[in-house]
Amino acid sequence: MNTPPVRYPGRRTIARRPRTTTILQLSAVLLLTACASSSQTRVADDPAPAQQVQPAPRAAAAPAADTGFPSSPPPAAPVQPAEFPPFQEATLSNGVRLVVVENETLPIISLNLALPAGGVYAPEGKEGLPSMLAALLTKGAGERSAEQIAEDIESVGGSITAGAGSDFLTVGVGGLSSAAPLAFELMGDVIARATLPESEVELQRQQMLSGLRLQQGQPDALAQRAFLTTLYGDHMYARLSTPESVEGITRAELVSFRDRYLKPEGALLVVAGDLTLAEAQRLAENAFRGWTGAPPATPDVGTLPDRDNPVVVLVHRPGSVQSTILIGNTTFQPNDPRHYASVVANEILGGGSQGRLFQILREQKGWTYGAYSSLSRRSGVGYFAAQAEVRTEVTDSAATEMLQQLVRLRTEPVQADELSLTKSTLVGRFPLTIQTASQVAGAVRDARLYNLPGDYLQTYRTRLAAVTAPQLMNAAEHFTRGEGAVMVVVGDASKVYPSLSQGAPGPITIINAEGDTLQPSDIAESAAAAGAPSLLDASRLRASRDSFNVVVQGTPFGAMVRDLRQEGNEWVLTDSSSIAGARQVTVVRLGSDLSLRSVTQRGSMQGRDMKVNVTVTNGTASGTAATPLSQFEERQVNATVPAAAIDDNSLPTLIAALPLAPGATFQIPIFSASTGGITPHTVTVEATEEVTVPAGTFNAYRVSVAGGQAPTTIWVSAQAPYRTLKLAPVGAPLEIVLVK
Amino acid sequence: MPRLFLLLALSATVAGAQSPAPMALDSYQLPNGLNVVLAEDHSAQVVAVDIWYDVGSRNERPGRTGFAHLFEHMMFMGSGNVKTGDHMALIDAAGGSLNASTAEDRTNYYETLPSNRLNLALWLEADRMRSLNVTDENLDIQRNAVQEERRLRVDNPPYLKLVFEYQYAVADTTACFPYAHSVIGSMEDLGAASLDDVQQFFNTYYAPNNATLVITGDFNPDEARSLVQQYFGGIPRGPAPPPLAACNQPYNTGQVRRTVTDVNATLPAVQHVYRAPATTSEDFPALELLASVLGDGQSSRLNRAIVREARAASASQVLLNALGPRRGPGTFTILTVSNGQANADSLDKLVATQIARVVSEGITPAELEKAQNMKRAQLIYERQTAFSRAEAIQRNIMFSGSPQAINNEIDAYLAVTLADIQRVAGKYLVPDNSFVFLATTESAQ
Repeated sequence: MNTPPVRYPGRRTIARRPRTTTILQLSAVLLLTACASSSQTRVADDPAPAQQVQPAPRAAAAPAADTGFPSSPPPAAPVQPAEFPPFQEATLSNGVRLVVVENETLPIISLNLALPAGGVYAPEGKEGLPSMLAALLTKGAGERSAEQIAEDIESVGGSITAGAGSDFLTVGVGGLSSAAPLAFELMGDVIARATLPESEVELQRQQMLSGLRLQQGQPDALAQRAFLTTLYGDHMYARLSTPESVEGITRAELVSFRDRYLKPEGALLVVAGDLTLAEAQRLAENAFRGWTGAPPATPDVGTLPDRDNPVVVLVHRPGSVQSTILIGNTTFQPNDPRHYASVVANEILGGGSQGRLFQILREQKGWTYGAYSSLSRRSGVGYFAAQAEVRTEVTDSAATEMLQQLVRLRTEPVQADELSLTKSTLVGRFPLTIQTASQVAGAVRDARLYNLPGDYLQTYRTRLAAVTAPQLMNAAEHFTRGEGAVMVVVGDASKVYPSLSQGAPGPITIINAEGDTLQPSDIAESAAAAGAPSLLDASRLRASRDSFNVVVQGTPFGAMVRDLRQEGNEWVLTDSSSIAGARQVTVVRLGSDLSLRSVTQRGSMQGRDMKVNVTVTNGTASGTAATPLSQFEERQVNATVPAAAIDDNSLPTLIAALPLAPGATFQIPIFSASTGGITPHTVTVEATEEVTVPAGTFNAYRVSVAGGQAPTTIWVSAQAPYRTLKLAPVGAPLEIVLVK
Repeated sequence: MPRLFLLLALSATVAGAQSPAPMALDSYQLPNGLNVVLAEDHSAQVVAVDIWYDVGSRNERPGRTGFAHLFEHMMFMGSGNVKTGDHMALIDAAGGSLNASTAEDRTNYYETLPSNRLNLALWLEADRMRSLNVTDENLDIQRNAVQEERRLRVDNPPYLKLVFEYQYAVADTTACFPYAHSVIGSMEDLGAASLDDVQQFFNTYYAPNNATLVITGDFNPDEARSLVQQYFGGIPRGPAPPPLAACNQPYNTGQVRRTVTDVNATLPAVQHVYRAPATTSEDFPALELLASVLGDGQSSRLNRAIVREARAASASQVLLNALGPRRGPGTFTILTVSNGQANADSLDKLVATQIARVVSEGITPAELEKAQNMKRAQLIYERQTAFSRAEAIQRNIMFSGSPQAINNEIDAYLAVTLADIQRVAGKYLVPDNSFVFLATTESAQ
């Protein structure tokens, strides 16, 4: 819904994961998903070959024939002179500029028409109108209905698409070159003779609304939205579609916008593939017959915010296990000479797996799967953004580190070898970005749309290669500046806010996925209410009766029996313990999914009777408790119990139902039936080790449970049947060990 | 109706004549068993190197699911002459791109580079085939990276767990273990993988006689041959890999329905998974065209019926073997995501109605021709970049038996008849042969 996919020349994309995963892009995602992705690699900081010691040669002794194998990378062969592929330009009689990249090697063609009619031209309050119009162009035009357009182009193996970014509305048609007449005919029809049927308007509205709703579940999309709206403030680039604006768009407004803005003057048609300039001109003139005129002058796009300091937006996403961090600022006009130095600086910072962000956040710190930065061009002022998805616990550390790297980029001159390596990387990469005729056409299109110098593409590599370290610092100083900078964090605010609020570079605004402002006091409550789903997996448990000894410094001090059985669709856990004269029987009833249903406890301690009766219905616990904590007085218990909560009595048993694995960490709300309190605990698998208890020797996970008053270590068997083998409160001479 | 006639004329032209020029291929085998294919093309100053090892998740044993993919990560941890991480650093510095991926039937490793750096890609691939750097530390690093990848790419995004994990339930772990578990594997099995497993896997599957090297793009064939000989010639042949575990997956064992909660989803969805035959089966081209008729493009049946007419879904996508072709049984998957107006149950009924219609009525001649033209266009689009040409060659070697098969790959699709389509629909797309996953959002529970 934002910018059109304008490829930045020289920017690699293959190792990145896709920014969003809407179902429509699923196929592309799938291809990437099974990958280790090159970003899996880890680079040693130490240049010494520390990892050289244990190669696993295929044979004990290298065979004689292998002596020709060089022990260091072969040098580059001479570079062939590289020219930007040829293309031709013309202007049609109605003013449309035409670019043709002829390539007869494959029988395919692609057409792409771009007009200055993107999001910034939408009337106030009608954000999303150009996108809706674009989608509707292919849903009925000329003599064809939506079905006929799709049917006709797809029948010849082609496709037609249309969309709108911030600056431009674009229509693309592609297919086998024998379908060229049809492709041009459709292009002419959709741009000049779209019918915009009312029923299609409503259908498109529904599609856009569900698309917006899908985005609310996607951290990347949430981050991007919060970033752009804050960064651009009152500028038109901040105006993104919302459910309200999409609801309000009428067909009359769509027609009026179409009649005003979809005009040939200022439009650019790019044709690539197996077609000559003369043929393209003839087909285009015919297709665009009767389409004339010019759009109104570019509207006032508004002004950029005038802020002295950075601001921070925290988007609350309850239950999120990761945080998405986006830090950036506006850049400059597309033809600014600082562009080349910015490209080099961005590459050094976050262009790929060799970038500083990736190297530090991922390779050194292990906080993230990937960390990158990018420059986005616009017709007006573009923007720079550094982005990483990190584990929730390290959100503040990662944000601090990212900021630190921005400072370093603008204050520390880049070393000569790093600079020359980066430049040769960018120069070497260029041929990979113009492999196909449509890639070449895309590069030409961008250069023309952004009014770049006429020789931009031909001189691009030379200009990159000429960038100096001072130019680089100067460019970085601009795009990493603090004034007006924006940091967005999308994550579970209840976990992130406390630490983030201490070191944040500016004031923090908390919002939810819908964009409503929240107060810090709202976060904890909403987290408990919305909560995360239960992590417990009942299939890991089986009915059993386990006996434990309570041992203090090697001396038996008491005994416990845990009985877990299934009754109908319930699990029933009965825990009978007798420790140093105190007796206690606890019965916990759980649903088939191990959700808490009731806790009853009877016991005696210090000569007084203890009694707890609490039931949980629809996430609400109610009942009474008389325990040592209440001086054995009966108290009412009323509490909201999150779905993921585990009762403190059953934790030592249910911990075996967590999907334990080496290195796994879980955040679990622990419910106390005695007080009705909910306390977040962190359960971490610290190690896999052998543990010996009276019942035998087992391969076990050593699991730490922290967050409560008494941190405890629990050993759980690492193989099925999963059960608790041993408990030891940290710092106490007490152990509870499995006997049988 | 002149427009219609024009269209028919166009279609006839398309189906009759539009094929790319045959690809000239030079294929040979080194004495150590490495298969090599060279496909020269000077349309761009770019060269691609693509190696397929004949190993994937189907070669994994119980208790070690996810291992083939974990091993793929180990291939980036350094080798005899390449430090940990240098593989990527060297390719990056040359301006190239690289990646690797693991599917059920194969694992691929590839680089695209400016043409003057062909030697670098070949040297790097040869060095890790000769001498992988296997250490405990590397294994731990990559084990964590894979577990993180699982969280990021499978467990966290909406709907992907349906595709990457649940759909493997259609194969039975006893009858057909090779295709009954996911490529990403279980967290627990990943945790259990040992250094010994890594070394054994390397010795067994990463030998030249279990690999095929394809080079495409802008290179001099004499130089390429000589580099291949110099770098790969000395790598000793390995033992023949062990036979695959049995796969006797029966069809039509009764419909299984499951309701799952997708905590990451904001809209309900339904996934229908039908057991499909091997890619090499003679039924496969017809099934693939049927998948296209149902799910490819705006004019596809599911898009028209469910997204546009019923206004119930935001999208409905058909995936025939989501991760790529298989020499064993596959999956025909339809994933339909609500637009907010329909719940999973009603989406299920809408999809089932469309499938039942294809089974009882078949498809139209125009739909068949459209699917054939789309397939043809897809095969032509694949010829555009050096890397996608290399992948197409590899696919033909593994699934059609020879690289030259690429030059008449379209024929099997053009031979499909309307009767074939209806026959395969009735054979595979029946309720008894399906798993239905009803994915509800958390708030709906």
